[in-house]
Amino acid sequence: MKTIDIFFQGEHGGQIELTEARPTETLADLKARLVQSHGVDPDALVFGEDEDEPLGEDLVIEAVVARVSKLHFSRCRKVEVTVAFAGHKQHRAFAPSATVAKVKVWAAKAFGMTPEDAGEHLLQIAGTHDRPAPNTHVGALARKTCKVGFDLVADERVNGDCGQGGLI
Amino acid sequence: MAPDEAAFRADVAKAAFRAGAAEGRWRLASIAWPFAEITVFARDGREVVLRFRCDGFPQTPPTAQPWDSERAAPLAHALWPRSHGGRLGAVFRPEWKGGSALYLPCDRESIVGHDEWRSQMPSKIWRPAAGIIQYLELVHELLNSRDYAPPLGAAA
Repeated sequence: MKTIDIFFQGEHGGQIELTEARPTETLADLKARLVQSHGVDPDALVFGEDEDEPLGEDLVIEAVVARVSKLHFSRCRKVEVTVAFAGHKQHRAFAPSATVAKVKVWAAKAFGMTPEDAGEHLLQIAGTHDRPAPNTHVGALARKTCKVGFDLVADERVNGDCGQGGLI
Repeated sequence: MAPDEAAFRADVAKAAFRAGAAEGRWRLASIAWPFAEITVFARDGREVVLRFRCDGFPQTPPTAQPWDSERAAPLAHALWPRSHGGRLGAVFRPEWKGGSALYLPCDRESIVGHDEWRSQMPSKIWRPAAGIIQYLELVHELLNSRDYAPPLGAAA
């Protein structure tokens, strides 16, 4: 029987995960399976990546994958995102399925960065050195707290002494 | 199969690597242990093949060089991606070790003698738990940055 690869993230864990689904089964069917196999909460809402509102769970998988590339499972309807830069903070609520890339675009604009400056900065989880991949969902970082903080930091240029004999 | 090869094959089978491939960010071309060729896609759609050496994976960091798969040889320097003077050019340096490694803190060859990077750029230091996508994410970001320019020797 034909199956479709489904990539998903959620409040249950920080990693991108993969499962298979039948084209004709519903999101509710898929979620029920993931509750058993991946620790998804039975009360989790299902979001399409970078979509603001949850999907109807009566949708069949074939229709879902025609619309979104990845899913997100979370009980948070919104995630409160705070981004700090140069002593200032900006706040905005995003759907948990919002990608780090989407949040960065918003943050750069909120801080009035030029496209050139924005290209030299990235989001780092506040208080850490962790720089999540651009396709990470903010809900996977917020987990069950429904909030996450970032610092907008310069992506440092790799430099340094090339060492003895390194250069030809 | 040796444990390092098994670990690498398990790493590229993970959802995070496969998601990157599904999104058109990179593609596994081949594995001929201890080497693996992975294509990373630039912002203009050009393919940059990296030949990774991965023995000791994941505890030992990999090293990678731009590669010409058709010739089974290092990529001619004229065909390396170019920089507008920013971060990409600091990493894609044909003169660094003769072009045999990218100048990245997560690269096995380049970290040697650069202990200061561990405090200066901790996010770019190799993390065994993150696996090969740590290296790929850094390269993909550069090839899709505003600093990227196509190679001089590229056809128009």
